[in-house]
Amino acid sequence: MTSALALLPLAVVISAALVILLLEAVWGKSARKPMGSIALVFLAAGALACIKSWNKGYAYFGGRLSLDNLSLVLIGLLLLSTLMVVLISLKYVEIRSLPAAEFYALLLLALAGGMVMVSSSSLLIIFLGLEILSVSSYVLAGLHFRDPKSAEAAAKYFLLGSLSSAFLVFGMAWLYGASRSLDISGVAAALRGDAELGLEAWAGFGLVAVAFAFKVALVPFHMWTPDVYEGAPTPATAFFSAAPKVAGFAVLIRVLAALGGPGDRGGPLVLVLSGLAVLTMLVGTLAALRQSNLKRLLAYSSIAHAGYITVGLLAEDYAGVLFYLAAYLFMGVGAFAAAAALSGEDQERLELDDLAGLGFKYPWLGISLSVFALSLAGFPPLAGFLGKFTIFSSAVRQGLVPLAVIGVLTSVVSVFFYLKIIVCLYMREPSGEVTLAQENPALLLVLFLCLLGVFQLGLNPGNILALVRMAAAGL
Amino acid sequence: MNAPLLSLTVFVPLAGALLILFLPRERAAVLRGIALAASLAAFGLAVVLYLRFDSGTAAFQFVERGRWLGFGIDYHLGLDGISLGLVLLSTLLFPIVILSSWTSVQDKVKEFLVFLLVLETGVLGVFLSLNLFLFYVFWEAMLVPMYFLIGIWGGARRVYATLKFVLFTMVGSVLMLVAIIVLFTAYHRATGLYSFDLADYLRLGLSPGLQLWLFAAFGLAFAVKVPLFPLHTWLPDAHVEAPTAGSVILAAVLLKMGAYGFLRFGIPLFPDAVRKLWPVLAGLSLAGIIYGGLMALVQKDIKSLVAYSSVSHMGLIMLAVFSMNFEGTEGALLQMINHGLSTGALFLIVGMLYERSHTRLIRDYGGLSRTMPVFSAFFLVCLLSSAGLPGLNGFAGEFLCLFGVFRSSRILAVLGSLTVILAAAYLLNMFRKVMQGPVTNERVLRFRDITFREAACLVPIVVLMFWLGLYPRPVLRKMDASVSGYLRTAARSSPILVKAPRSPDRLLPSPRTEKRKPPETEEPVHD
Repeated sequence: MTSALALLPLAVVISAALVILLLEAVWGKSARKPMGSIALVFLAAGALACIKSWNKGYAYFGGRLSLDNLSLVLIGLLLLSTLMVVLISLKYVEIRSLPAAEFYALLLLALAGGMVMVSSSSLLIIFLGLEILSVSSYVLAGLHFRDPKSAEAAAKYFLLGSLSSAFLVFGMAWLYGASRSLDISGVAAALRGDAELGLEAWAGFGLVAVAFAFKVALVPFHMWTPDVYEGAPTPATAFFSAAPKVAGFAVLIRVLAALGGPGDRGGPLVLVLSGLAVLTMLVGTLAALRQSNLKRLLAYSSIAHAGYITVGLLAEDYAGVLFYLAAYLFMGVGAFAAAAALSGEDQERLELDDLAGLGFKYPWLGISLSVFALSLAGFPPLAGFLGKFTIFSSAVRQGLVPLAVIGVLTSVVSVFFYLKIIVCLYMREPSGEVTLAQENPALLLVLFLCLLGVFQLGLNPGNILALVRMAAAGL
Repeated sequence: MNAPLLSLTVFVPLAGALLILFLPRERAAVLRGIALAASLAAFGLAVVLYLRFDSGTAAFQFVERGRWLGFGIDYHLGLDGISLGLVLLSTLLFPIVILSSWTSVQDKVKEFLVFLLVLETGVLGVFLSLNLFLFYVFWEAMLVPMYFLIGIWGGARRVYATLKFVLFTMVGSVLMLVAIIVLFTAYHRATGLYSFDLADYLRLGLSPGLQLWLFAAFGLAFAVKVPLFPLHTWLPDAHVEAPTAGSVILAAVLLKMGAYGFLRFGIPLFPDAVRKLWPVLAGLSLAGIIYGGLMALVQKDIKSLVAYSSVSHMGLIMLAVFSMNFEGTEGALLQMINHGLSTGALFLIVGMLYERSHTRLIRDYGGLSRTMPVFSAFFLVCLLSSAGLPGLNGFAGEFLCLFGVFRSSRILAVLGSLTVILAAAYLLNMFRKVMQGPVTNERVLRFRDITFREAACLVPIVVLMFWLGLYPRPVLRKMDASVSGYLRTAARSSPILVKAPRSPDRLLPSPRTEKRKPPETEEPVHD
């Protein structure tokens, strides 16, 4: 149904960013507190707009921007992650004296970019959304401008990110040449008619695939991830671990679904994706084994998880992929929230050795970080286990047993470094005088929400499973 | 059906753990009391189950079943003669270890009790699950509390030991998860139904080749747990580093989960594969018997001696399990209980010695029987039970085991009886050095004899040792029907799948035709 209501959630988010920037001009730099609350209010309004649009199928711009159920679920995930990131930031922005208005405005703009990406089926609009998301992210990564690591992160993110954007545009040009269309379904329809895909089409798909592999950090296009995750302000890292992944995989889902799946076993698309998935799972897991910094460890873990999600794509289990994204959102954002709690005024204490003995000193922090680590490692009955189970069982059903076996074996290896976090928290004597910042109720709320999500998705995911199935049914 | 007895048994400890979690840590005595009460409640429920258990049928009893996640992932519990003894053993030992750690664990008591109780829930869930998904959830979830118990309250090399324990166990079990998914897929292909139910999979006709692969995956998971030689290397580390409570539970209960896995899943699901691999499996069991026994002979540390004796004893149990006849299976089940009692008691005793002297090396002791006569008597009984002295429980179990093995292969029975000989050698030798002879260490003279609380831990075990040694018939009778049923299932070859009509809401609307759609979307959502 064509209706301008399709633009409502997007409009709410963008106007929030603008309002915050305007208010900063009026109130001055020192007004940090209200900015976060304003962002929260608008985000809640955006979420409400999404809920009201469920099953309505609003579309605008000639159907190029549509709020079908799939988009709504994805937007919901994006909104939820941003909401939690804002809650994490409330104190963090103050402690580390970040420019508050810029931080929240950029976060909201990045979110808007992600929302455009997931709700469009036109490659051009997707590119537009991707650029909004990416450019805002580059600045977010470098917002600690006195910290050289943050500057390094921004520079790396920008260079590699813009390279991948160039790949994307170039690939789109090839696809347009091959199919005379920029719409995903148009491209797919034109190309499915051909018995043999021409060189142009393969070049186009290849370049687009490379670009998105950059965005969701599949090996060998993952080089930027650890440095950016480490250098960026921790709440921004939490955002990077969730939002670009959701958006990137959303586009991949749409492309693959339009093509009718990755094709026959042994076909080129399956071979390429399987190769990427295997490499990503292996490299992400093995590299994480050697990390001594919590953020870098979580960065490699997020790479490994992108590999598992790719297995889900290969198995054509799009509902499973959505479920996994939701599960990862809670575990990933939760883990980074715990990392943010460790930040002091002068520095971020994120070496694993800094965690020594903290589990007993700060029980809630310890429990939640442990639960997130166990869930990331895939221990039942937590969300991560059910996510992996869904994806691997679809893989087995599609005859991709080797991929599933590699997946479970890498998750065993990953248990080692996730348990290392817990070893540091509980099984080492406290090394020094690590005391956390003062009371931070907003962050505790995030930890609690994520804990709830991890247990809910693991033990009683009935409603959420139904939701993602409805969302994937339209494909 | 009246009260859901099985669920109550499984979740009473968890409820206790949650209660403890929300109480202040300063009131350690209250916390211990609650933990003891919760575990005793579980034991009481298990006794009720034992009394109400109908020994005339091989079917599962007290069955509870409900929808959980859909796609055949149900909450499905049941008890039969194979799990009954293990449930009783587990629920008996948990209150005992809580009692035994009353003074030895002073640090972080609250967490300690929470992990122990969560572990109990996990263990009971493993023994009672009839749905393979549920089984896997308990099987894996149970690792987490054990990981913490060894890692926080363990000895000097605890972190190494606990990581080794978790990683070894997980390698096997994730492959079992893939195998479970393959079974699920095979069942779906054959019938169009979704199920993770053991009973359904038993009717599945699997080609011998596939059986071999699946059995390899299941078998690896269980063999690590048992542990079968050469997968045992985690066990001495974990046992030596674990706190007393952890060692007791590990030896007495967790190792039994491996053997139970073979009896409940591995052998009935893949009988052809077991028959084909029988020489290998028997050979590995035998290697474990001899290797564990020889290693135990040369240990300097009492705890690792008992740990290696477990490898040896579990080897005999597995030999009896793989003999796949009535006597062997009943003997294995009985011997699992016996081994749980005797090794559990030995670990408790080592723990009591350690509490007094803070050493576990044999050479630091000597002549203890003069200063601690009562303790020494308890020690001797438990030791002789482990060594298989007639009149005590170990003899009854080992006799049945060897009898069963004898019926399938005489030479194996002869070699298997080495367990008993070696056990007598290393246990009596250790007893001689530790308890008898002259006092070599002055400190030994100051040790006080067994306390009332310590005796309270050991008395129930010793009573059971005599009961099971002198008159095991009542316990065996509860197993008879189930063991015959199990053997009938295991004896079938190339089972034929029956397309059984199920309750209509589980039938698919249409068989899978389109390749594009993921199968998830095909089942209507009932929630």
